[in-house]
Amino acid sequence: MEKYLLDYNWTVMAPELIIAGAAALLSIIDLLMKEKQDKRVLASLGFVAVLGALYFTVSRFGQQPYEILGDTYRIDDFGLVFKTLLLTGTALVLAVSLQEAKRKEITAQGEYYYLLLTALLGGMILTSSADLITLFVGLELLSISSYILAGIRKRRTDSNEAAWKYVVLGGVSSAFILYGMSFVYGLAGTTNLYTAQERMAEAMGNGMESFVYLSLFLMLFGFGFKVASAPFHMWVPDVYQGAPTPVTTFLAVVSKTAAFALMIRVILGGYLFLFNSRTAEGLELLTTALLVLAGLSMVIGNTVALRQFNNKRLMAYSSIAHAGYTLVPLATLGPMLFESTVYYLTAYLLMTLGAFTVIGIVERNAGTGDISAFAGLSRRSPLTAAAMTIFLISLSGIPVTAGFFGKFYILINAVATQHFWIAAIMLATTVVSYFYYFGIVRMMYFRPPVLEGKVKVPPASALVIAVAMIGTVVLGITPQWALEQLGEVNWAAALSPLNGGAPPAQ
Amino acid sequence: MDYAESYVIVTVFILLGVALPVAALTMGRLLRPHQPTTDKGISYESGVDPTGDSWIQFNVRYYLFALLFVIFDVETVFLYPWAVAYNDLRTDVGLFILVEMLIFVFFLVIGLLYAWKKKVLEWT
Repeated sequence: MEKYLLDYNWTVMAPELIIAGAAALLSIIDLLMKEKQDKRVLASLGFVAVLGALYFTVSRFGQQPYEILGDTYRIDDFGLVFKTLLLTGTALVLAVSLQEAKRKEITAQGEYYYLLLTALLGGMILTSSADLITLFVGLELLSISSYILAGIRKRRTDSNEAAWKYVVLGGVSSAFILYGMSFVYGLAGTTNLYTAQERMAEAMGNGMESFVYLSLFLMLFGFGFKVASAPFHMWVPDVYQGAPTPVTTFLAVVSKTAAFALMIRVILGGYLFLFNSRTAEGLELLTTALLVLAGLSMVIGNTVALRQFNNKRLMAYSSIAHAGYTLVPLATLGPMLFESTVYYLTAYLLMTLGAFTVIGIVERNAGTGDISAFAGLSRRSPLTAAAMTIFLISLSGIPVTAGFFGKFYILINAVATQHFWIAAIMLATTVVSYFYYFGIVRMMYFRPPVLEGKVKVPPASALVIAVAMIGTVVLGITPQWALEQLGEVNWAAALSPLNGGAPPAQ
Repeated sequence: MDYAESYVIVTVFILLGVALPVAALTMGRLLRPHQPTTDKGISYESGVDPTGDSWIQFNVRYYLFALLFVIFDVETVFLYPWAVAYNDLRTDVGLFILVEMLIFVFFLVIGLLYAWKKKVLEWT
């Protein structure tokens, strides 16, 4: 009887099990430690766990897709790629936290580290669920951990404000997603995404189009919130500003990547073939809706960023704009949908992580979150200033950096599918973005320093900056190679239901 | 029939839900005599005359206790059906069913330990 349990190939879930185990272990160790003890050892433990999970994730590449736990959990290359991104991002955030999350500010250090891990776990579940229920559980695990993390500096008003706004708006968006899912279930009678797709096709034949669209658009509202695209962006600046800098980095990088994985999985896994087989209208409607989201994000993100004087608020609006760019391949269903999205998300991960790390250091040094904190950085710490310049160049999309080729491939998607207006908006807003990115560069190089002395860069942060910088430059020099690597991934497996590879029926 | 029409029932229930209290209160207003006195205006609290303001600070510990209670309440809700169906499930899925519940309880125990260590269980 027990053999049924062992029939499953549990090693496919090794990354998730490692992270879940590590989070539990960390919380127990934290409880056993003394209140005043330095808990940075927990960060190292978490770091090791993330690296272990990363190893198992990467070693799984190229194998057959596999479904486990009654076909609710699906390990395919699509999920693995996103998991690799999430794990890398979290590892780097943990490394930064080692220096940045000081006891003075974050009294609940133990909680900080294992909530990062549970949030990561939620993100990982999101990337490889094939079932609406597991998807939602993953989403909530990610969101609820993030809410607490945003407010972890509990003596600070702005941190509390951030957490409060995040909880309320996040709850509303989750409700939208859940309401959309309920219509899918109502139409299909199943929560399995791929079975639901087939049954919704039948429902559409029976004149249920309006409900199919209703479910899709309700979920789109929620997804728009989770990936921080306009017009669902109102929470972003306040939360990014109020949360501690490493947490902001986590939200901007890991949360957003996971939300994109969710969005792509649900839209392509649940609706693409449905619309393809039934009606061109549906596809057109979906494309238009997504393009409007993308265009609005680019315009609002890039123009409002012009008027921001706080580093993290500026980066928040920049992150809204980047969400807009990243939406384009999905919206246009371009020829390189997966490759260009993942390439852009990788580039975005590296440059945003790097930029936020520098911002954290500079803020700590100057004691202010204003852009003026960067004044004269080139004289006080030339290397940091140079690294920040590279990140900003990449963020604004100037060659030869990862950000440039990311935007370039996205543009190809838009042009190849004849969506010229979105390409035009993208180019125009990119030019606008130069103003605020180079505002920081100008601060660093052409303004006299306000403070005296060198800026101290902690070793772990220096390492993260170096990794991010090398990644940004290397991806920018060898984009073709990176794209070929991504092209070898079995993306198609994410789109269709799986037969074979499933555990034997009892 | 079907999916779309089932929403008719929902609409009917919403309308009923709004109409019933409105009708009941209006009927009451029309039928009852209207003789207000100050004693009648006092809010009813277990038969004792209320003293002081209703806007007072509550001890935050009530909240933590309630939270703990909810967690273990939910645990019980999960445990009951599981225990009732245990024999059937065991023949179907094997020991996995036990392991699964043990994992669930284990994580809740961590939660309890956490609350204990953070002095939620002490009142003073």
